[in-house]
Amino acid sequence: MHDIVITGMGVVTAAGTGCKDFAAALRSGRSGIGQVPPDCRLGIDVGALLTDIHLEDDLRCIEDLPADLFTRARRAAHRAPFSAQVSVIGAAQAWCGAGLHRSRVDPSRVGLTVAGQNLNQRLGYDLQQRYGERLAYLPPSYGRHFLDTDQVGILSEILEIRGEGLTVGGASASGNVGLIQGSRLIGSGAAEVCVVVGAMMDLSPLELHALDAMGALCSKASRPAGEVCRPFDRDRGGFVYGQGSGCLVLESRSSAEERGVEPLAALVGCALNLDGNRSTDPNPTGQATAMRQALRNARLSVADLDYINTHGTGSVLGDESELQAIKAVLDSQVARTWLNSTKSLVGHCLTAAGAIEAIATILQMRGKFLHPNLNLDHPIDAGCRFVGAGGASPVTVKTALSNSFGFGGICSSIAFRSEGG
Amino acid sequence: MNKEQIRQVVMKNIRDVLFDLDLQEIPIDASLKDLGANSMDRADIVAHCLEDLQLEMPLVELRTAGNIDGLVNLLYQKIQCRASRPGTAAKG
Repeated sequence: MHDIVITGMGVVTAAGTGCKDFAAALRSGRSGIGQVPPDCRLGIDVGALLTDIHLEDDLRCIEDLPADLFTRARRAAHRAPFSAQVSVIGAAQAWCGAGLHRSRVDPSRVGLTVAGQNLNQRLGYDLQQRYGERLAYLPPSYGRHFLDTDQVGILSEILEIRGEGLTVGGASASGNVGLIQGSRLIGSGAAEVCVVVGAMMDLSPLELHALDAMGALCSKASRPAGEVCRPFDRDRGGFVYGQGSGCLVLESRSSAEERGVEPLAALVGCALNLDGNRSTDPNPTGQATAMRQALRNARLSVADLDYINTHGTGSVLGDESELQAIKAVLDSQVARTWLNSTKSLVGHCLTAAGAIEAIATILQMRGKFLHPNLNLDHPIDAGCRFVGAGGASPVTVKTALSNSFGFGGICSSIAFRSEGG
Repeated sequence: MNKEQIRQVVMKNIRDVLFDLDLQEIPIDASLKDLGANSMDRADIVAHCLEDLQLEMPLVELRTAGNIDGLVNLLYQKIQCRASRPGTAAKG
């Protein structure tokens, strides 16, 4: 694995926006999951929705954001779909955080990966409702906005990126797939920097209803909304829909050194494998393979592994499968390696999950803490080292795995190592 | 609907779509292109005007408009035609 580091991060979630706010939410166990007001018209009672996002206001919160970048962002995204606006906010945070607004990096050596597919389902649904019988009035710009690659165009214009750019998809593993794609781009020498955006999946009532009907999503609050999402708990009942976006700037270590930028963490290994299975059922064998391969790739033994940021959705089958896989991988180390699920705080952000959870992993490593597992009153396996309700601090986490698994048997795991003292 | 009302509709939609331009005074003889509207912006401005006016017409007919004044005139003519046809009401 080539020496790839993370030099910038940006995050937009219902629990917090911006790394400082998000880290505070993680540390205190502040959840973004709550009751969904009926006027959202999504057909769900509980979710972690982004209800307080305003493009220009959130851009203005970014420290040191150059005026010309703000102008380009406003011009390119003011009328763009919501998912694109959220991506722009996170990407601008990460770009400035990496110091790229001040460095002279050759734009042709900067790549862009937008991780996610079906990003604008809500937009299509709303336009169908309004214009389905009167297509003559449908805004022609929908011909651009329905494409996920619209975000590639928008972000590359704002950040002036001229290297390789594309979207990648892996369902709920998309965020990790994006990071893997970005790391390969740098590893191959095709880029020095890659901006990886885990984009928000803006779902319509149709998808949410289908996910509920198949038993995957928990949409109704049979208990207070904040208690519905219960990864690894005996009384879990499915995942809770989360909205959010995460952006990480990956960079070769040599480029970071040349720019005089301190890495936030290193991406030291990764794995992506299929179960050969089109159903939505998880497969512990495939999941274990991904974790083992990521460790091998990172030249880490299980005894070296301090922490796993689990996929941990709260799904009845999924959580059981993942724990089975984790126990098989950790073996005698199972009582040593910490586990938590960031989804218990931000919901399941689907295509963005892998990116958001990579950021959570790195923030915890740097802050020397591990966030709590919310609502984990009766863990389904007493042998695993789950972070408790109060979190864990101070704790030194030097190495971590972050898991993401997607429908269609897509299994991924990424290994991170801390940087600095 | 008179021409001034139609002009107001067109100006409102220009300001909505070209939100980042300072358009205090829009010269009536300016073209949308002169104002900095790209082809997507122009198409959206026209679609919004048609919706506001409840007019259905092929967008290709509006390409002869030339400038904002021309667009207002074309829309006005269409509305007059629709009004003068017996038994016709606004579509949609």
